[in-house]
Amino acid sequence: MKRFEYFEPATLAEAAGLMHAANAQVLAGGTDLLVEIKEQLRRVERVVNIKRIPEIGGLSYDAREGLRIGALVTAREIEVSPVVQEKYASLAQSARELGSIQVRNRATIVGNVCRASPSADTLPPLIADGAQVRIFGERGERVVALEEFFTGPGRTVLGPGELVTEILVPPPAPRTGKVYIKHGRRKAMELATVGVAVSMTLSRDVRIVLGAVAPTPIRARQAEGLLQGMKLTSELIAKAAEAAEAESRPISNVRASAGYRRDMVRVLTRRALAQAVKCC
Amino acid sequence: MLLKLKLNGQARELAVEPYRSLLDVLRNEAGLTGTKKGCDVGDCGACTVLVDGKPVNSCLMLGVEARGCEVLTIEGLGAPGRLHALQESFVQHGGAQCGFCTPGMVMMAKALLDENPRPTEDEVRFAIAGNICRCTGYTKIVEAILHASDRNQR
Amino acid sequence: MPVIGTSVKRPDVLGKVTGGARYAGDFAPPGMLHAKIKRSTVAHALIKKIDVEKATAYPGVKAVLTHLDVPRVLHYGSPHPRSVSVTRDQYILDRKVRYWGEGVAAVAAASEEIAEEALDLIEVEYDELPAMLSVEQALAPGAPPIHERKDNLVADPVLVRRGDVERGFAEADLVIEGTYEMGRPTPAYMEPNVCVCQWDDEDRLSVWISTQTPFMVRGILAEVLGVPLAKVRVLVDHMGGGFGAKQDLFQTEFLCALLARQTRRPVRLEFTRKETFLGGRSRHPGSVWLRQGFRRDGSITAREARVTFNSGAYGSHGPGVTAVGTTALTSLYRCDNVHLEGRCVYTNTPIAGAYRGYGVVQTYYALDIQMDEAAEKLGVDPAELKLKNAVREGDIAPSGHPIVGHGLEDCIRRGMQEVNWKNRGQSPISTHRKSGSDPIKRGWGMGCEMHGSSAYPGIKEQGNATVRMNEDGTVQLFTGTTGLGTGAHTALAQIVAEELGVRFEDVSVVHGDTDVVPWDIGAFASHTTYMGGRVAQMAAAEVKKKLLGNAAGALEASAGDLEIRHGVISVKGSDRGISVKEAVSPKKGLPSAQLIASATYQPTKSYSFAAHFVEVQVDTETGLIDVLQVIPVHEIGKVIHPVAAAGQIEGGIQQGIGHTLTEDHAVDPATGRSLNAGFVDYKMPLSMDMPPIRTILLETAPDPGGPFGAKGVGEDPIIAIGPAIANAVYAAIGVRFRHYPITPEQVLEGLRGK
Repeated sequence: MKRFEYFEPATLAEAAGLMHAANAQVLAGGTDLLVEIKEQLRRVERVVNIKRIPEIGGLSYDAREGLRIGALVTAREIEVSPVVQEKYASLAQSARELGSIQVRNRATIVGNVCRASPSADTLPPLIADGAQVRIFGERGERVVALEEFFTGPGRTVLGPGELVTEILVPPPAPRTGKVYIKHGRRKAMELATVGVAVSMTLSRDVRIVLGAVAPTPIRARQAEGLLQGMKLTSELIAKAAEAAEAESRPISNVRASAGYRRDMVRVLTRRALAQAVKCC
Repeated sequence: MLLKLKLNGQARELAVEPYRSLLDVLRNEAGLTGTKKGCDVGDCGACTVLVDGKPVNSCLMLGVEARGCEVLTIEGLGAPGRLHALQESFVQHGGAQCGFCTPGMVMMAKALLDENPRPTEDEVRFAIAGNICRCTGYTKIVEAILHASDRNQR
Repeated sequence: MPVIGTSVKRPDVLGKVTGGARYAGDFAPPGMLHAKIKRSTVAHALIKKIDVEKATAYPGVKAVLTHLDVPRVLHYGSPHPRSVSVTRDQYILDRKVRYWGEGVAAVAAASEEIAEEALDLIEVEYDELPAMLSVEQALAPGAPPIHERKDNLVADPVLVRRGDVERGFAEADLVIEGTYEMGRPTPAYMEPNVCVCQWDDEDRLSVWISTQTPFMVRGILAEVLGVPLAKVRVLVDHMGGGFGAKQDLFQTEFLCALLARQTRRPVRLEFTRKETFLGGRSRHPGSVWLRQGFRRDGSITAREARVTFNSGAYGSHGPGVTAVGTTALTSLYRCDNVHLEGRCVYTNTPIAGAYRGYGVVQTYYALDIQMDEAAEKLGVDPAELKLKNAVREGDIAPSGHPIVGHGLEDCIRRGMQEVNWKNRGQSPISTHRKSGSDPIKRGWGMGCEMHGSSAYPGIKEQGNATVRMNEDGTVQLFTGTTGLGTGAHTALAQIVAEELGVRFEDVSVVHGDTDVVPWDIGAFASHTTYMGGRVAQMAAAEVKKKLLGNAAGALEASAGDLEIRHGVISVKGSDRGISVKEAVSPKKGLPSAQLIASATYQPTKSYSFAAHFVEVQVDTETGLIDVLQVIPVHEIGKVIHPVAAAGQIEGGIQQGIGHTLTEDHAVDPATGRSLNAGFVDYKMPLSMDMPPIRTILLETAPDPGGPFGAKGVGEDPIIAIGPAIANAVYAAIGVRFRHYPITPEQVLEGLRGK
């Protein structure tokens, strides 16, 4: 790969300062960054390895505060965590389908979020679960709802010198079913052509988040509106799925055409809703 | 930069550039060419090694990120005369044809058996989903791994 | 217990599981430089200007080559001179660029990083030419020729005529026709192409390389560089797969050798994965128009076909692939009246070349599916129709020789029995029946094939072997055949051991050094066991004669009364014997006479057969197709190493499933840019995508031209699996696909169209 400068800051403040240089990138898991460098998708002149910073915590759960995913928590940790599997099943499922075990042992959830790929697997479940990100910056800290974090493909609200230190996911309400379905041509190693996450709290709240069918992950609010407070029959679920299809704005590329993706939004939303009902 | 790590059970100090991947450091600076470069971008698993016991694509790590870690490559697993059960099993069951995917495949299988000594066939296939083989169709690789797992239990 | 027919431990696998096996890219002589290739970003253009000043001055760069610096010699891209497979249309680097991604310059530098950075400093200005990205565009009237010829045909069309098709169609009760289309799968071997070149002080060139055809590499390098053959040494240790596509010369060998010569340092040039797509070889995309006439009783009265293959920017194996693929249509299912045409067309797209199956994957996909279509129209079972028409003993094969035995019929019958074909869908072997409202549908299909073990008559091949018995009774086989990793060298050792009567462990194989081993045309066309094995057997037989001659005196018997088994020479019907070692050991301080013999074999051809039985599952809401199980039945004459043979079949099935359902190297139809030159979007079946495979090997039609009757097996599986899947999909959902790959979108479209 092309050569770059390399730093291992010991504190967040040091890391933030280093990020001001031109073409500086954070290195956490490295499973996106090294690919971008090698395939020359991004010009990288400085790499800032944040793995030696002690303040960036790990994975913890508390019944009141919910789940805290520190910046260095890997997809594999999320995949195998019993508490995540139990209380955030869609997030665990999405992590399980991210790349391979080898990739998951390095890739971080925060990295997946910051890379902001429209097809990223962990984003729809996190958004459906109402996640927030805590951002460290030289002018202080702020917390942003994940749903408002993405501004376009590969783009977020992060400013120069800002780093995400953790993701906060509220504790699940009782009787909540969480489902993530990823569409791909093969059973593993796929970048989602369509991803659908559903978080359904019986008789109260339904959230449907679609991935890979718009510049950012999107809430299918029309579809959600049809289901809010209603009895969930299969006819209603089918209607909601059609509404979700209409809300999606996919592009065509070598992976799939826009028309096929819209079809899959409908099919997978229906399947995810039906599955979520069973889990409530 | 000076990279200090434990490599195949031995303490090593290697002079490396930060922009070299762990894969390149293993193959060049450390002289261990057993780990292969199939794609260099984490899609094929041929470069799989164990870092602190966890299987990773060494092409997606910088060499310097392995500072203070224990790295195990195929050369550290076993040698003729004292093969690991997996290596023996791959030989017995036709688990290798051209052999290019084999080091990565065997290391991934070792990581699987370390964590799950008696996997089902589905669990084996799930574990090696990130290791591409173009010669075997996976049939005999899966057989070899399952056979090695039975042996481990005796 | 015989050595052949046993799955002995493959000696080469030991190094593979321990990491000790060395591949060309593992070799790093001191002082080695790293080379990289700059690739074009246009599909068809003249290079107006190429400026390498900055690159040459970049610290760490030792040499830069452009078309202005390299010998302007037109060479065979495909390394089979003296055969019809050849095209001679490539320069090492040219002033003209003919496809997006073609190499335009090469750099050698002290490190890979520096070489990569230096590529960015090479400035190229292109004068773009209209790009012809499809066969239609390349054949349109007025289309500019991509090469210096009058049109865009790689070679004269292949024409095959037998019998009288007009009369045949007139006699038919049913005439059926269709156009079948093929995408662009690539071999995607795990080891990217690589070579290391080094010149010594006597101006001799050593080339460590991953190639199936070291003698061809030697020959063409010598010719193009103007060096005598004795001064070029090609070395192949282990190879990480080839599948046919490493029997060619890429631009890399010449560039590597020239950079090494100029810098007086060893140079390594290794493809990135992306470059294996851009600079390697794919299967020929194309189309087959096929028309057949059938009598009501199912026999075939006439067959007409027009085969059109897309060669990409250079000819490579185009003529050979077109000839073999087209003439294959004279056979498989019997027909006396055939009229076949095959053409190969240049386009400004990545180069197609040799790849496992060599044109027959495409033509038999069409032929076998059309048989299923005919069966439906005739109201008969497709397997029965294929059985009825299956080629058999005495029929003339595409090579011009008579078929030996009834291998194809045996395969079909055995497979029908194994899967309880008559009750398929209801039998226990089938995964359980699904209800009508279930969106998941299942179906069974079957597909057949035959393939020759050699490239005869297109290429007059020659295999050579030398067998030497050492003074301790151990044996060395010197073979020119390359080891792609299939286990073929183990099979050769088994054959020599069996012929000589010694233990398998006492035979080793010397290969991979053109200075040492006898000349060989290369490992391809499924002929390593057939040709390499037979000639090894012949050489071993000569050594055996000498050995018995030597031992006769010691045993006080005539050589004709002796036999050798498990390393012991004994007099038949008595207990008098001596070990082989005793028979050859030096006596009284004098070394024994050297026991060494060579043999040459120019094979004709033998045919292997297969019938694949497949169950698929289709999700009619997503269009996704899953292959649930495969029962491949292969007739290969004599199984030398059962595990290795099954391994070839299972691996070929993986590639064939990929071809049929998910693999396609796509180029942008507007610009010719490669869209998926990597494993993310070029999708091969992975461990969770592969079905259980229950391989059945038959030995019912051994061929006397092969060692102990053995025939090839490498290419057969990839040919039969495709149509079997397509036919199974039809059984599942009633939608007929006449192309590959079959995408989920197309499945949904097909279902909507019903």
